[in-house]
Amino acid sequence: MTDNSSGKEEKAYRPLNTQDLLQGVLFRYVLEGNAASEEGRLAWVTSGFPVEIPVAMGITPTYPEQYGTVVGAQKVGPTVCGFAEELGYSQELCSYARSSIGSTRKPDESPLDGLPKPQALLACNNICGTVLRWYDAISQMTGAPVFLLDTPPFEGDQQSHHLAYVRRGLDHLVEFLSSRFGVSLEEERLKEVAANSSKAISLWSKSLEACKSKPSPLNCADRFTTMAPVVTMRGAEHTIEFYQALYQEVCERVSEGIGAIRDERIRLLWDNIPPWFTIFRFFNGLAKRGVVFPADTYTHAWTGTLEGKDLFDSAAAIYSNVYLNKGLQAKVDKMVQLINDYDLDGFIMFSVRSCKRYSLGQLVSKELVTEATGVPGVIIEGDMVDSRLFNEAQVQTRIDALLEMLE
Amino acid sequence: MFSEHPSAICVYAIDTHPSCLLTTPFGRRGRLPRKNGLIVTVAHIDNSFYEIRIPTLRRYSACEGFKTQGIRHRVLDGGCRLAGALSPDRIDSHLSYGEVFDVFEQKLVELSANGRTVLGYIYPHTPLELPLGLGMTPSLLWARPNAQSGFEASLQTFSCSLTRNLFSQRSNGGLTFLGGLLFPSNTCDSLHNVSDVWRRRFPEDRVFRLTYPAGRLGDDSVQFLAEELRILSECLKNVYGRVLSNEALLRAVSLVNDFRNAAQTLYSCRVMDPSLVSYSEAARLLRHFLTIPSAGAVDQISRSATTAAQILEKRGQLNEAKSLQKELLSGELTGAEIGAKSSRPRIMIAGGMVEPVVVASLFESCNRKEGEVVAFDLLSYGFKTAFTPPVNLEGDPFVTISKSILGAPSEPTQEGLPERLKFLKRVLRRLSINGLVVCDQSFCDPDQFEAPSLVKAASEAGVPTVRLPMDPELSDRGRLEGRIQSFLETLRGRTRR
Amino acid sequence: MSGRNLGIGLDVGSTTTKAVMIDSDGKVLGSCIVPTGASGVGAARKCLRELSRESGADTNSVSTVSTGYGRSLIDFAKRSVTEITCHSIGVHHLNSSIRFLIDVGGQDSKAIRVGESGRPADFELNDKCSAGTGRFLEVMARVLEVSIDQLGPFALQSKSPCMISSTCTVFAESEVVGRLGAGENSRDIAAGVHAAMASKIGTLSKRVGVVAPVCVTGGVALNPAFRYYLSKQLDVELWIPTNPQITGAIGAALLALEP
Repeated sequence: MTDNSSGKEEKAYRPLNTQDLLQGVLFRYVLEGNAASEEGRLAWVTSGFPVEIPVAMGITPTYPEQYGTVVGAQKVGPTVCGFAEELGYSQELCSYARSSIGSTRKPDESPLDGLPKPQALLACNNICGTVLRWYDAISQMTGAPVFLLDTPPFEGDQQSHHLAYVRRGLDHLVEFLSSRFGVSLEEERLKEVAANSSKAISLWSKSLEACKSKPSPLNCADRFTTMAPVVTMRGAEHTIEFYQALYQEVCERVSEGIGAIRDERIRLLWDNIPPWFTIFRFFNGLAKRGVVFPADTYTHAWTGTLEGKDLFDSAAAIYSNVYLNKGLQAKVDKMVQLINDYDLDGFIMFSVRSCKRYSLGQLVSKELVTEATGVPGVIIEGDMVDSRLFNEAQVQTRIDALLEMLE
Repeated sequence: MFSEHPSAICVYAIDTHPSCLLTTPFGRRGRLPRKNGLIVTVAHIDNSFYEIRIPTLRRYSACEGFKTQGIRHRVLDGGCRLAGALSPDRIDSHLSYGEVFDVFEQKLVELSANGRTVLGYIYPHTPLELPLGLGMTPSLLWARPNAQSGFEASLQTFSCSLTRNLFSQRSNGGLTFLGGLLFPSNTCDSLHNVSDVWRRRFPEDRVFRLTYPAGRLGDDSVQFLAEELRILSECLKNVYGRVLSNEALLRAVSLVNDFRNAAQTLYSCRVMDPSLVSYSEAARLLRHFLTIPSAGAVDQISRSATTAAQILEKRGQLNEAKSLQKELLSGELTGAEIGAKSSRPRIMIAGGMVEPVVVASLFESCNRKEGEVVAFDLLSYGFKTAFTPPVNLEGDPFVTISKSILGAPSEPTQEGLPERLKFLKRVLRRLSINGLVVCDQSFCDPDQFEAPSLVKAASEAGVPTVRLPMDPELSDRGRLEGRIQSFLETLRGRTRR
Repeated sequence: MSGRNLGIGLDVGSTTTKAVMIDSDGKVLGSCIVPTGASGVGAARKCLRELSRESGADTNSVSTVSTGYGRSLIDFAKRSVTEITCHSIGVHHLNSSIRFLIDVGGQDSKAIRVGESGRPADFELNDKCSAGTGRFLEVMARVLEVSIDQLGPFALQSKSPCMISSTCTVFAESEVVGRLGAGENSRDIAAGVHAAMASKIGTLSKRVGVVAPVCVTGGVALNPAFRYYLSKQLDVELWIPTNPQITGAIGAALLALEP
């Protein structure tokens, strides 16, 4: 936004001003989580859970997946995951789950002293089947009961019996929360929360779409960090304020032709969760070579809004239709759509070892995406939290090969 | 060399190495000279299972086939094919799993050649009654012991090992007998994703999907699965041009119920006295039915169960076994402890996507002389398959089949961990289990999440455990046998001092 | 030798084969270590000839128990017992106060809780991977161009071990090559290798439950850097037998004495 007029050469990557606000928002998230736990109304929630309902019932959500990103970013993934491995959990399991189990076991030796103690564990398996087993394990450790919102995967159009089943699940959810927390669901409050959530999501989506501009106002790392509030605090009002600020900054960049990176030459798509333990180094390193990522499949997953006359029906449909719940073709379609809409030159697929739902099948989808779009791509291997599985030299070689194809 | 034993048969094998040592499930042996081949004796066969151990050989040539002659004629199903080379240092290696794999593959190929549609499946709680009623043969797929590669271009290495193995088989031209393949959905991420990849890579294959509820929402779950079963049924009918008649469905239900009753009886009798029927034998009988659900397979397991029951009756223990069977079905285990005074350790095996036949063979390898120690299992393809409640065809058949499936003992792919752990503790007490072996399939999320909880629950119940991380190729066979042997030594050390 | 009760223990490992002869007072009359090579049986016979020479006894008539990876090859042994039990019994014989034992062999590692009787009460084995075994150090010694005997002292010269993050021997090897290429100090890398190994063994041990003092056996116990980093990792004192490679054979020999 402002020119660097001190005479030093401008950095290849431009930090967002909104990042400063982000710290405040996340700090608030942590405080509220701790307070809610002490008051006995905290639930751990999966990222794809229809959180509007518990929030409307006065329950505060906190996200072990977001905690996983903190563990990764603080570079203590191997240590914290190791605490779970000492209990006998295999290294082959999801590293978010291992971080969560490990930090629950040894909160004093984990970032932020671990997550605050939950009174309920709310899992929705629209993002993967692992969440049930992960939360079951946490339930054994903390004594908090698990509620599973079962959204079986499907392809194409959702069948009516399927939707009805998920809808019934939401009814069961309300019963569970009522009996566990002694609270009730007020229609008006749900409408309010849904409206807040929708506003935030709408601003977020517009920020994402602005990246169609050239140069792109946001890079991968920017989006990965600024998506935290829309994931973790969807129904809150201050979340809307945050995204207003973000959108404003994005609009200013677009109108002034300022890109997230200084020299945008190559525009790529990023697929999958990023390697949190090296997120800035990795993407800023590529920025120095003129590579920007105007779109990625991960941040584009949080875009459905609750609306219409029956919010429960809407919730059932929105939350069971996330593309991660719809098979290989949906993933391919998503990537093709992003490559076309954002005018991208190629793609990088991160094969995240511990996320089977997201990664398994990339060897095939890579071919299908290139076939459909004509652009080349590369698969690199690693993990989102467990840095032991990321071999920098190997990764660089593959990316170099892709960039050579594009230059 | 003809045995005098009335139930012995003689088999004439062509072109094998002179120093061949033959053992059978019942331990009879004979060393056989070479003339124009090899004449061996085999004590009691109720199936085509036998083992040939060749201790000092580096390689052995394939047997082309067997002819029979002697006291009683019996055609061996499928013949025998010995393939591969033994490492010279493994005296005790025996090929029962690989052997059995080959025999069954042969049978399935013949079945398919005779016009029968074989529908392969992977998940333990597949509704067998449905394909059977449609005139198809549902067959639980086998992992091939030496299928190592073929998946690399399509599946990453962290895909569940079982799916990788099956994929490799298909890539390398195997699974030719399959007329269709049924994958589950909403059970685990590997199986779901692999079914998508499979359809892409093998577009000529007929791949079906059955989506299970993971949550326990009572009637809502039952109705959801019933609808899914209805849709699957329509799909199968259309693709294969079949009709689902009431009579056919009734026959199918009856067949599967008979199998389950026999399996339950066998399991319950074995608890009273594990040496009645070896665990290997029990596992094989179950596996036979799951591979080809036929009246013949039911007959074999029924006979074994009946024999065991008769022996118990003579000892006045049959009622206790029957009562135990009921309790195992209901999940309420309130009776007195059984086998608390056993002189041998009583082992139970728990786990998910592992083959009971394979686990049994590991035990046999390292525990030859000490007598049967495996009293029970809680395995998905063992106990959980056997103790599925019967289908009673009153009302909508899809609803009743759905109820039967959802009434089976719970899997790690479903809600219900606390209940599974409580059940485990009850079984450990009721069956006086001295040691629990917890198996998990390599890269299997449900198994690997469940295992530490099983270990902890057993430890709370005062029962020591050992973990067996397995892969379908048994690449680590020696180490696994070592673990089992060490575990048994540890347990015996306890009882001795 | 009439009237004298003797026992022989044969430990046929993947790298080395060990044999020990013991009398009924538990005194070691002879011991031998040879490379296993291509034939466990051949190595075993060689050991027995050596024992015969050292003790003067006719090994053919002595009761023998086999253990180790190749235990089932020894058809003249009266029994074969796993290394877990044998190491436990062997160590208990040498030092009855030990309740926790770590054996690091050529191809696998074991953590064993030793019961009061000397029999194992609980145990854990490393997973299939060779990181955390003697193999890991062999591979690294080759990359660092140091002999395996000198690797330990070499590593101890460093005061700042660098972090080796890979858990897999194959990946760790390429990581080390990368670091050498980047000009990092090979002593620091050597130290990091030992620290990584100690960490792996540490995790294995904690799954069983560490009880001090901890005994370490196996060839790797002779490596001073490994001992240093392991002791630091587990935060306990280590007790190393004088000849840490033959404890399995000792245990087997003691079992051979039993009727």
